Amino acid sequence: MEKLTLAIVGCGAIAKGIHLPVAALSDLVEVTVLVDKFLPRARELADKYGVPAVADDYRDVIGKVDAAIVALPNYLHAPVTLDLLQSGIHVLVEKPMALKTSECDEMIEAVRNTGAVLAVGLVRRFYKSSQFVKQIIENGLLGNILGFDCREGIIYRWAVASGAMLRKETAGGGVFVDMGIHVLDLLLWWLGDYDSVEYYDDAMGGVEADCELYLQLQCGASGVVELSRTRNLRNSWIIRGERGTLEVESGFNPLVHLETKNQGVVLTGQVTRDGAADKNLRDVFRRQLDDFVDAIRSHREPFVPGREGKRSVELIETCLASRQPLKQPWMFPERLEYGVLEGALP
Amino acid sequence: MKSAQFDLSGKRVLVTGGTGFIGGRLVERLILEHKADVRVLVRNFARAPRIARFSIEMVHGDVTKPGDVERAVAGCEIVFHCAYGNQGSREMRRLVNVEGTENVLAAALQAGVKRVVHLSTLMVYGATSDGDLDETAPRRYSGNSYADTKLDAEKVAFDYVERHSLPVAVLQPTVVYGPFAPVWAVGVLHRLKTERMILVNGGNGLCNAVYIDDAVSAILLAAVREEAVGEAFLICGEQPITWRDFYSRYARMLGAAEMVSMSAAELLEAYSAQEQRKTRGILRETLSILREEPLVRQRILRTSEAALLTKVARSLLPKQIRQSLKRRLKSNDRASQPRTAPEGEKPIRPMRPSVVQFYAPKTRVCIDKAKRILGYQPTFDFESGMRLTEQWARWANLLGE
Repeated sequence: MEKLTLAIVGCGAIAKGIHLPVAALSDLVEVTVLVDKFLPRARELADKYGVPAVADDYRDVIGKVDAAIVALPNYLHAPVTLDLLQSGIHVLVEKPMALKTSECDEMIEAVRNTGAVLAVGLVRRFYKSSQFVKQIIENGLLGNILGFDCREGIIYRWAVASGAMLRKETAGGGVFVDMGIHVLDLLLWWLGDYDSVEYYDDAMGGVEADCELYLQLQCGASGVVELSRTRNLRNSWIIRGERGTLEVESGFNPLVHLETKNQGVVLTGQVTRDGAADKNLRDVFRRQLDDFVDAIRSHREPFVPGREGKRSVELIETCLASRQPLKQPWMFPERLEYGVLEGALP
Repeated sequence: MKSAQFDLSGKRVLVTGGTGFIGGRLVERLILEHKADVRVLVRNFARAPRIARFSIEMVHGDVTKPGDVERAVAGCEIVFHCAYGNQGSREMRRLVNVEGTENVLAAALQAGVKRVVHLSTLMVYGATSDGDLDETAPRRYSGNSYADTKLDAEKVAFDYVERHSLPVAVLQPTVVYGPFAPVWAVGVLHRLKTERMILVNGGNGLCNAVYIDDAVSAILLAAVREEAVGEAFLICGEQPITWRDFYSRYARMLGAAEMVSMSAAELLEAYSAQEQRKTRGILRETLSILREEPLVRQRILRTSEAALLTKVARSLLPKQIRQSLKRRLKSNDRASQPRTAPEGEKPIRPMRPSVVQFYAPKTRVCIDKAKRILGYQPTFDFESGMRLTEQWARWANLLGE
């Protein structure tokens, strides 16, 4: 079968570390052009992977490729993806698919009008563990879900190629938008829609490094999500049901603990498929790419279509609109005089 | 102290080292208290999430690159130079601490900056003795590469004051603790969790601790007080405490932590006995001298014979061996290898003599000069500073297993 021609738009850390190496090894696609506003960055990667062309404007790929992976700074995801979709190019867009729900709607509409495939890079849905949790809950093994507790934080060390991830204008937000989108996507996918939410973060004119959410879900469960770029937290989900408790560590190949109520019986292990666990995060991204290509070939919806990608964008939008400051007493000791920056004081 | 009693409002300022502990808190207060227009020279964006919470300008660059520094300094009225190197080889530390400082000062001079606040350290005084210590004490090299390169950086700073009339003020903070403190909070908690800490002389030596916000208040004052130019100021809390109090307070946060009391003499003896057990050939002994005496090493490495030898070694030895030799030559960390401990018991780490000398003396750091000239007045006693530190440490998930 002929390979699909693919453009990678945006050559930052995720393209360099994941998308390009994964696509380069794929039998299904051929990367024919790399796009980056800063051409030397694109050229360096093109040389390394033998990609024949580079461009500094994504519009140059229109008419020249079948599909594109959009891995630009967050604020460009929606406009660039929309433009590509409307030009008939299939797009796998990095998360978040957009910074506003209105943009999500436009993208979904473009898919309807053009028939192009839009896949959203909510890659954690491709973790074997995430799919395992989904099935455990759907099959009712835990009974009705009562509560959940997610703490995810590592002292930030993502090898960012530029400061775009840390600027409000380009990232749209901090840890909440960046990591939170994954966490909230899983939450909504596993446990269904929410009823109400309280949201706290520590942004004071820039992007938040820490945040907390208190959620009440329509299924009746309630719980907390805490995210951090400045602290190493527990890094796991705990989901409590009437019949048992499930704990899943964060990460692409985590340990899963399943404990049945009143029996004290615990199952701990890794989730495998066909006898194998994922060895590398790239294995997961390969499944995401394979699904994207198969959706294009089979004229079907991808595993994570725009409609699904929109759910977490909407929740984030709601949270940010009702944001309250996170309490950090050491930020504002009583012994010091403050009060000049409106909105920053808890 | 009323920290908002002077005005940096709207002033364009540059902070180097703004992604670090002291520089990071300085950035926060420049914005929260003074609404200053803050620019930060950022070497590594991965370390910037704390300051990215604010609306600041982040300029990508490195203090060791003059072009980067010039871009960052351009248009700034005040420069706070908090960047320092405490990692990598001695050469790297020297590059960051000494040449980095020179780059910042040269750029400040060129740009007509109105004030530079240079962050130095108590450690420029070398091993201190019992009794009062003020800024008239002689500066001394101690063999510790951080301290020695900071001393050289301070010399560069005063040289710019004298030769170029650059308005530089120098601050010498002591043991700075508080939220995010890498050594005196995160590091202490980590050690108390993983080893049995040695208290030198039962922890009777004096710890001249200062809470981060007091240190930052002094930095802010040094930026605006005319009389600060050309002067160095020791910055410390009001009253020293003992090292026993200092470590016990952290141990209390953890619920329990084991500490072992040993006399300085005992520790020095144990160290030299350990050293003597290693019978050495001449090559090994030479390497060891080179390792322990940076000045000797530098002088030898500068000879033409050494240059030739290095060149030959570089062309003949496989990369792996070259790197391992380099590591061995540079590492002075042998003493920090834990002694083997019986199972279930936490290890005791032997102490190098320079560390024993740091903990043993009952030195009292005087802050009269900072009070008189800067109007500095510490507002956090140890207990109130530690209360905030504990709240933070609990939130930061540092007090659990």
